[in-house]
Amino acid sequence: MQHNEEKTCWNCPAALLKGNVDFRACGQSIAVIQNKISEEGLLIECTRRPELGMFEPSITFEQCPEWRETQYGYLLKEMRVMILGIDGYLGWTLALKIAKLGCRVSGIDNYLRRNAVAEKGSKSVVPIADMETRLKTAKEQHGVDIDFRELDLLDRDELAEYLREVQPEAVVHYGEIPSAPYSMVDAEHAIRTQHNNTLGTLGVLFLIKEICPEANILKLGTMGEYGTPLTGRPIFEGLFPADAVLTWRGQEWSMGGELTPRDPASFYHVSKVQDTFNVYEACKYWWLRSYDVMQGVIFGVHTEEVAAHPDLRTRLDVDEWFGTVINRFVAQAVLGIPLTVYGSGEQIRGYLALEDAMECMVRLLSSPPEPGQYDVVNQLSQLYKVKELAEIVARVGSRRHGLTVRIQRVENPRIEADEHPFLVVAKKLRENLGYQPKTPLEVEIDRMFTLLLQPRVRGRLESVRDTVFPKTWWSGEHKETMTLEVYEPGTHVMAGYSPDLVVSDHDGDE
Amino acid sequence: MKPKAAIIGLDGVPIHLLEDLAQRGVMPHTKELIKQGNLMKMRSSLPANSAASWSSMITGTNPGTHGVYGFTDFIPGTYTVSFHNSHKLKAPPFWSTAPEKRVLIINLPAAYPAQPLNGTMITGFVSPQLEKAVYPPDLYPRLRDGGYEVDVDASLFKKSVSLFLQKLEETLDRRTRVLDHLLEKDGYDLLFFVVTGTDRIEHHLWDAYADGTHDQHPEFLGFFKKVDDAIAHITSKLDPDAPLMMLSDHGMGPIETAVNLNTLLREEGCLVTGDTPRKNFNNIREETRAFASESSKIYLNHVDRFPRGSVKPEDTPKIQGELVDLLSGLRYNGRKVVKAVHLKQDIFRGPETGDAPDLVVTPENGFSFKTGLFKESLFEEDFLSGAHTEDDAFLYLRGWSQDDRLPEHPCIEDSIHVFRKLIGEKLDAA
Repeated sequence: MQHNEEKTCWNCPAALLKGNVDFRACGQSIAVIQNKISEEGLLIECTRRPELGMFEPSITFEQCPEWRETQYGYLLKEMRVMILGIDGYLGWTLALKIAKLGCRVSGIDNYLRRNAVAEKGSKSVVPIADMETRLKTAKEQHGVDIDFRELDLLDRDELAEYLREVQPEAVVHYGEIPSAPYSMVDAEHAIRTQHNNTLGTLGVLFLIKEICPEANILKLGTMGEYGTPLTGRPIFEGLFPADAVLTWRGQEWSMGGELTPRDPASFYHVSKVQDTFNVYEACKYWWLRSYDVMQGVIFGVHTEEVAAHPDLRTRLDVDEWFGTVINRFVAQAVLGIPLTVYGSGEQIRGYLALEDAMECMVRLLSSPPEPGQYDVVNQLSQLYKVKELAEIVARVGSRRHGLTVRIQRVENPRIEADEHPFLVVAKKLRENLGYQPKTPLEVEIDRMFTLLLQPRVRGRLESVRDTVFPKTWWSGEHKETMTLEVYEPGTHVMAGYSPDLVVSDHDGDE
Repeated sequence: MKPKAAIIGLDGVPIHLLEDLAQRGVMPHTKELIKQGNLMKMRSSLPANSAASWSSMITGTNPGTHGVYGFTDFIPGTYTVSFHNSHKLKAPPFWSTAPEKRVLIINLPAAYPAQPLNGTMITGFVSPQLEKAVYPPDLYPRLRDGGYEVDVDASLFKKSVSLFLQKLEETLDRRTRVLDHLLEKDGYDLLFFVVTGTDRIEHHLWDAYADGTHDQHPEFLGFFKKVDDAIAHITSKLDPDAPLMMLSDHGMGPIETAVNLNTLLREEGCLVTGDTPRKNFNNIREETRAFASESSKIYLNHVDRFPRGSVKPEDTPKIQGELVDLLSGLRYNGRKVVKAVHLKQDIFRGPETGDAPDLVVTPENGFSFKTGLFKESLFEEDFLSGAHTEDDAFLYLRGWSQDDRLPEHPCIEDSIHVFRKLIGEKLDAA
């Protein structure tokens, strides 16, 4: 059974529900809608099957000839998907994957990521082709046509024109500056981050409302929006579950359906939280539908599609601003730099491999929320402590690649809890969307070592050596980050809190 | 230029109502017309709903030929109810068989969206968007700006009876004004005007008609007086001896009790439903043998028609027989509920019978059928007070030659053939 086979026209971006339902805010809609159906016979039209005329929105994906079965569930045939930020680490990878699955992929990018990395004196250590070459190679290697427009998402007139031309049925919004340290460099970087991210997203929402209101919006958020509450209260998937109750002064209130607290950890994370509210409100005001994807930290370089040809490779950054922790650890191991663990290294975060992240995105594309529904998924495979990751990278590097890897604890330039409980709920992708993590951490780390040890890549890595060590202090101070301790892998025991990941309703049952 | 002939439709008006109101002086113009012509009882279509019956009327064919069995049917391979639209009509309407004649059609039910024709068309209920209910399209802005409404929002009745009645009258007034405007602007060979407020008021206030002491009795009669005025107004646009046909698509009778057919089928083990979040036909499980839809239609859960179909072709007659027995035997307080159960093969003829319901049920006087899937009680009160009847619609003809024979027991699909004969030479000669 496919995870989305019983979804119906309510979930299909080809169904024209707008104007047919008097929709009210998230969490209050179902009763209103059911009432409408049973009493008044709600009817819709389909943009893909106009010959059906008006009909009840109850055709299931399994029954509808416009939805085709794939290994990730039913997928709308030739779904028109526009990726904002298609040139990036995730954007390009996803473009290839879904184009191969039969989606009609379009995308915009203004090369902000390439330029921002260059501005900080770094570059992708895996060489990446220019967009023209990428598109040409994608056609040659995978037989797919991807339509690209060099475009800043803040240029709303141009973007509006492109959206009108494409009429996307899904919009994947990766078009943001994705770096906490970058946003903490100084006022200029913080403002640039929030301007691009928050105002860019707000503008995009207005355009989607105007041009393609039925589109499934996959908005990339981050697990970092939630922070790491020291009480250890659960990190739900964006919204409180139906049975959550607030107790105060002997009285109880249901919290079901309300947004959970956010506690961002940088001005970048603040921009994501602002996005959350803007997307939430847009769904409420205009019936847009969105998944806010609270993504864990991505690692890795591999998908079948990007690995098919050197000119199809996606970028890999290892500098302190744009590199993610596991990728940076592998790079440090190759460079012979002791792996930089901040503070105690007891910070717990959620992680997933690039390949798994892409599968999650395909599954989210395959199962759009209902009109007006703002939904949130916590997209991660596993929780790890930072110093645990350092141990794993060191182990793979030494055992599989013969490297001598050491670990260093450095001063933590960030304002964050070094030690904290972390109880994360990440059920929806697994329970509702059929996702199971496929790429073991060690396997992906091994792939990265293999790639980064190639002479050409290693040479590029050497050239960005100076960007690897952390220098950006959340306090705004300009100072060196001191090494507190250098140690051999396997010599430090894990202490403190244990990561606690809930992936099903049965977790924790006796 | 005056139209040379006209058809006036009075949706849902039974012959006895027309005769009664004519006799009582509520409809004096109609009384006069009756004197001048032939009025006879006419059978509606089976099922007796406006979509099937008006489609039979305009095509002169049985639902098995025109393919319209109601306002809804099931999208093949699904349990999804799709709404009727004019593209689904499989037989040609009468105006398309004489394309040289200019026709003006106002408020014809089940004709949405309006399709191109030689003349003008404003479709009647149900027309979700006025813009698509109009041909030629350049008429739309005028209708929109003039506040033209295809139908009165029936839910108004619950909120305010007086506002509902006021809206019924306003809608009829606007329609006749549009008629005046169109006839002034252009010439037509044939006028076809349908009054649908009659059906609406009868559904909601049949009790007010039947009961002289009812609060809304005067308003009920008052509306039919307006209808009579409209008939007079329309006929004034014709020459006094111009061929005229008036007809209703079905009749109407009182409701005392509503019967939930799917509840009966569930209680008897014929219908088994699951529990998806939405209360639609997707809840039908494989064990289901039959289910009812749109008041009087019963479908077998055919293996080759529905996603979880389980009834094999060879089992159809047996299950039909069981359902006839079940329905025929249904009693409420000792009274028989079902007047007749018609088998598909007995009532439908033509190439479109594949989509037909397997059985059509008609109620005894005083009962109405409902087909909600999850109703608990078999019997309940109906919020309407009037229900369609299939055997007492009317057909009226002015200008019929006494030399010609009329069908003895006309049915609605005969009406357009009769009309052709009525206008025949006169229209050609003009």
